[in-house]
Amino acid sequence: MSAQDSSFVEVVQLSKRFGAELAVREVNLAVARGEFVTLLGPSGCGKTTTLRCIAGLERPDAGEIRIDGQVVTAPEREIHFNPEDRNIGMVFQSYAVWPHMTVFDNVAYGLRVRRVNDAEMKARTNKALELVGLGHLADRYATKLSGGQRQRVALARAIAYEPKVILFDEPLSNLDAKLREQMRIELVRLQHEVGITSIYVTHDQSEALVMSDRVVVMDKGVIQQVGDPETIYARPANAFVANFIGVANLLEGRLLSRSGDVSEVEIPAGDGFAPLHLKAAGGEGASRGQKIILSLRPEDISLHLQRPEGGSAVNLMDAEVIDTVYLGNFLDCRVKVGAHEVTLQIDHFERLSPGQKVFLTFWPDHGLCLTE
Amino acid sequence: MRTEAAAVTLAGAPRSIGRWRSLFTQESIATIAVSLIVAAAVLLPLATLVVSSFRVLDDLGFSTTWGLDNYRLLFTDHVIPGAFVNTLLISTGSMVLATVLGVSLAWINARTNCPWREKLEPFNLIPFFLSPFVGAIAWHNLAAPKTGLINALARNTLGIEGHLLNVDNIYGVIWVTGIFFTPLVYLFVVGSLRRMDPSLEDSARTTGAGLLRTTLTVTLPLVAPGILSGAIIVFVTSAGEFGVPFKLGAPYGVETLTTQIFTKAVGDDANYYLGASMSMALGAITAFFIFVQQRYIAPRSFTTVTGKGFRPNVVDLGRWKWLALGLNLAFILVAVVLPIFCLVVVSLHPVWEGEIILSDITFRNYVKTLAFWRTDSISAATNGIFNSFILSFAGASIAMVLSLVVSYMIHRTKGFGSRMLDLLCVIPIGFPGIVLAMGVLVTYIKTPIYATLWILLLGYITRFFPYGQRNISSVMLAISEELDQSSRMAGASWITTLRRITIPLLKPGIFAGWLLLFIIFLRELSISIILYTSGTETLSVGVYYLANFENESLTSALSVAQTVVLLACIVIFRRMAGREALTA
Repeated sequence: MSAQDSSFVEVVQLSKRFGAELAVREVNLAVARGEFVTLLGPSGCGKTTTLRCIAGLERPDAGEIRIDGQVVTAPEREIHFNPEDRNIGMVFQSYAVWPHMTVFDNVAYGLRVRRVNDAEMKARTNKALELVGLGHLADRYATKLSGGQRQRVALARAIAYEPKVILFDEPLSNLDAKLREQMRIELVRLQHEVGITSIYVTHDQSEALVMSDRVVVMDKGVIQQVGDPETIYARPANAFVANFIGVANLLEGRLLSRSGDVSEVEIPAGDGFAPLHLKAAGGEGASRGQKIILSLRPEDISLHLQRPEGGSAVNLMDAEVIDTVYLGNFLDCRVKVGAHEVTLQIDHFERLSPGQKVFLTFWPDHGLCLTE
Repeated sequence: MRTEAAAVTLAGAPRSIGRWRSLFTQESIATIAVSLIVAAAVLLPLATLVVSSFRVLDDLGFSTTWGLDNYRLLFTDHVIPGAFVNTLLISTGSMVLATVLGVSLAWINARTNCPWREKLEPFNLIPFFLSPFVGAIAWHNLAAPKTGLINALARNTLGIEGHLLNVDNIYGVIWVTGIFFTPLVYLFVVGSLRRMDPSLEDSARTTGAGLLRTTLTVTLPLVAPGILSGAIIVFVTSAGEFGVPFKLGAPYGVETLTTQIFTKAVGDDANYYLGASMSMALGAITAFFIFVQQRYIAPRSFTTVTGKGFRPNVVDLGRWKWLALGLNLAFILVAVVLPIFCLVVVSLHPVWEGEIILSDITFRNYVKTLAFWRTDSISAATNGIFNSFILSFAGASIAMVLSLVVSYMIHRTKGFGSRMLDLLCVIPIGFPGIVLAMGVLVTYIKTPIYATLWILLLGYITRFFPYGQRNISSVMLAISEELDQSSRMAGASWITTLRRITIPLLKPGIFAGWLLLFIIFLRELSISIILYTSGTETLSVGVYYLANFENESLTSALSVAQTVVLLACIVIFRRMAGREALTA
């Protein structure tokens, strides 16, 4: 049964069309039992549609969805389980806490629907309320709760009847920044405590990186990359992922040679500038002369006021300061390298004035060659 | 909350010295003046009504003494107690019928995949704009035992003896009142069904509830305050309805409070004081329910809108969608198509005896009721047309000016005056037109405005200006106060700001309100029937006159004329104001 465990929720070749627009295009995804997987992408990337297809709120045009070995959606075979028959829980962006019921009634709803006997229903409802720290508000009406409390009610409501999977549709995006960070940590703690399989949709990359076992990056209805947070951040599969996760400087050039794990690339620097010759990781499978994109994280670039010598002068670039932005714990600095604009992050507060000549270096394993 | 209240008190305290000066700003003088005018218009008739109800007419009908005899008669008279019971039965029955139909149609149109629902919605709302009195006349001609078109057809084609349907009884009154007030419930419910956050229902589905359970435990409870409000409004409006029971009830022994008030207020053995006590009884019932609705139910409506733009969940009815379409079409058939068709048919016959006789078809009825320049035209009808247009035009215009000023004062000024105005604007809604008209009658009967159009104008405006005021208020609440304040900052006076900023911004609301009042006044019956005299008939009084003293064919001709004008107004209304103005 290990096969079933590694694909507790399985999405195969899922496609969904809204009118002429293809919202989801042949998406494949396998979520293991107890795993926390995040669908991440800009708005309109198809992540919410995929989630709503898993929930049964949307009917896909093609593909198949299995939950715990059971086929719940297969339009080609005319199989469609209604949401209520999938044994799932879902937390919505707008909380959707019912204003005409008390907190207790909201949370007990799923257990009552399942005709759990009274004593057990009360015990399990209270347990769910304790779990989210709302035991003392059980008799309150939802209209008297704050946003954060409403979100906890929605969460307790979704876990009270111990569904097979819990689906989160941007649940934190209506909360203010501070509460959002607090809820992130709490959600992860809760998920570990309950051990429930979770699929989470967000457009907030830091949320995805903090919370997930695995991140699925989507764009234009297509999965761009699937991986754990470190991999997604450090080894983005393509320019879209590199740019969407954090900030990346993307420089276009050609592969000159490869030796071991290191690729050497040539990047034209614009009219009147000598092309840059840089060494970086990645570029596997690319052939000599092929077009590549070099991705450089702002925090991986070092800035020098004097031309560095010897061993530290790796990937040396001449640059000219455009401007700097003070951001509290660090400075964002924009510089010109030839005709390219490069952003880097520096944590020392030397005065940099626009037009000043500076020097940039980065370690080859901090740069990444992408072949798209 | 507590700290906020404390802060307000602290800030308010030192200002109380400057308060006297602030009493004499342009703004506050105008507020007080308008409050007094509105208070006089609204409270004077009601106060006089209370006083009159305690005056007892002696047996000869010449002098009065003070006493409770009028109230005693409410219980001991041989007709009034029955009328009281009938009123309650009719109101309850109409409420149930209108609520079931209104909620069903609203749900079908807003939330299901019923075919053509968007095209049918305007037709579902048509009865809202037409005259229920005319509806009763039409249904009498459709389903009176002997002369009803449906019954005649049934006899000829199905070979039935006697009759298939009979609306000349209490059930007929309930039927016509119920279908004509269905749009009221519809309008109370459809907005919240349409704008409800779909994730409220989605979360019930994902939690494990089926479609039926979700509808019963989530969707309907969320719109329950709207349903309840709509039901109460129908109950109260039915209790105050005069035309339908007058046509289908009273001639067949089903008296109601309204028909009895009319009998006591008009005619040879008129006893205004007994009429006043009956009006008090009716007004007490309606005012109580409106109070409950305004105070306890309207504020309870749930905020289910989350500001995010979305389409509501649409329920796939499967094969049942044809049933939904059937219900929708059946409603339009019985509430709009059949009545209008029947009126046209009847109006084209010299005398109506239940049979369509093509060779008899004539336009003479229209000539007699509409051709005011001809000497053989009926003056009650032609006067009615003129008077109604004058009253509707002037009444809607004056009421909207008043509404504008009152709304401005309620929403843009603070203090005692604005709170009192807010209350004054609810009071007329609590009393049926016929009750308020009795008040106006006993107040002004000995003044020169009696027997002129002015008394009708006063009655119309007093009873209905709150509708216009609500229309403007809803738009005003949507317009930021800062737009006004910026004008004051820029140096404009209060009057200039009103003229240059506020009124132009409110134009759509003003026009929608004006047209709504124009329509209401054009079909108004229960105030007019109390306050008219020979020469000041209105359109609906003309129809009443023809129904009472002439024949069904002439009655139908004028009814068709009125309906055509009202339908034209609906078309303009929809063009100019759109659907939203209605639900506001």
